Amino acid sequence: MASLNDTIAALDRLPALPATSLQLISMLAGGGRDADLREVERIVSRDEAVAASVLRRANSAALGMRGRVAGISDAIRRLGTRELCRIALETQTSGLLANAGRSYGLRRGALSQSALGGAIAADALARSHTDQGVKVDREIAFVAALLRDIGKLAIDAVAGPDALEAIAAAADTRPFLAYEREAFGADHAELGAILCERWSLPTAIIQAVRGHHEPPSSPVEPLTDVVHAADCVARWAGLGLGCDGLMYPFDSGARERLGTTRDELEALVADILAATAPEQTPGILAPGNTLRRSA
Amino acid sequence: MSRSPSLPLKPEPAAGRAPEGDKIVVGVADLQVSRDPGKAIITYALGSCIGVTLYDPVAKVAGMLHFMLPESSVSAEKAAANPAMFGDAGLPILFEKVIAAGAKRERLVVCAAGGAEVLADDGHFRIGSRNRTILRKIFWKLNLLLAAEETGGQHSRTLTIRLSDGQITIRSQGKESVLWPR
Repeated sequence: MASLNDTIAALDRLPALPATSLQLISMLAGGGRDADLREVERIVSRDEAVAASVLRRANSAALGMRGRVAGISDAIRRLGTRELCRIALETQTSGLLANAGRSYGLRRGALSQSALGGAIAADALARSHTDQGVKVDREIAFVAALLRDIGKLAIDAVAGPDALEAIAAAADTRPFLAYEREAFGADHAELGAILCERWSLPTAIIQAVRGHHEPPSSPVEPLTDVVHAADCVARWAGLGLGCDGLMYPFDSGARERLGTTRDELEALVADILAATAPEQTPGILAPGNTLRRSA
Repeated sequence: MSRSPSLPLKPEPAAGRAPEGDKIVVGVADLQVSRDPGKAIITYALGSCIGVTLYDPVAKVAGMLHFMLPESSVSAEKAAANPAMFGDAGLPILFEKVIAAGAKRERLVVCAAGGAEVLADDGHFRIGSRNRTILRKIFWKLNLLLAAEETGGQHSRTLTIRLSDGQITIRSQGKESVLWPR
């Protein structure tokens, strides 16, 4: 067990999100104008892992394109700013999260896959919420969901071996965050928000990371509602399930505000599983494959 | 020339867990059937999903399905691409595959684990319990009874079946328990 001071001190020892990711997020928060393409190109070309992902995606059959791309410049032109930003953020976040979640009993890569699954769900839910008249920026929803469990890195740093398993084994029906707060002085959602604050990310993203298990009802944060539901969808798809299992509630207020039906969410569960299957190129849903509304 | 995998090609594994290399992993929305007595079939992180095993102790054929959602009607397109996502589509296929591999219906031992629920669901989604219901419904139609199950709650579970003797173990919260034989 650790004190709040120890836990906060552990944040200093964690790797940071690469500066290029922070630039991209700030660009997206500013509306992701076409004029930014040159800057995105520069970022993409300089990071080998990102460039490889961009080439893979550009060649992916999921995009329905004909012919292989000639090289990185061709790939960048074909994909466009928005998609390039997503790929870069996905790749860099995935690098940060690859070994995260050990204290929850997660295997390597499980938290990256869960981050991506939630991000894809958040995009679809943001679009659906916007269609109903509550504007939620899809790009920001994607990024916030991608980063929602970043605080688990801090729990990994302070939790002793098997500590969380022992906590989960003794747990009753309270949300898992309550046990994290007891054991470490703060839960992974709060710790994630503190990291996002340190990285000077937009306030809406910080709020969504902080509230992704407990979305506030007053004032309502539509982005947080979206990321909260996306997290539940990812859990139902079996993504990122460690010893904390399903010990998180689906907030009834958020559910009512989002107005999504069970069938819509279940269709999304099926979609994100297909989109994050290890044998496929991870990433976006195939074109036209969005949250279906029953009406 | 291929030999029948039902022949005892390998020595029986020692008691306890099968070695890592001898695991056949069933992913989420996936199913596997084997007749190799040196193997174990395993699936990780069952939350609201359900892991189902069918085992014939005489033919030593085992199959495991890890399905995610109860009904394929929510996405006909996904069900066509991967029926193992859904209980109503995947369970009959698991049954057909173990029979095709040499199992006999009357000898089948059926076990299940998973079907957990998120907290405070308020009866709105109940994916875990609806997965449990579809399991019973399909097995009732197939005239099969569950020999053992560990379902419900909020925990994540890892399910393993050993081909040599059909022993089924569940790992959850750092503890391992034997589900079958009891």
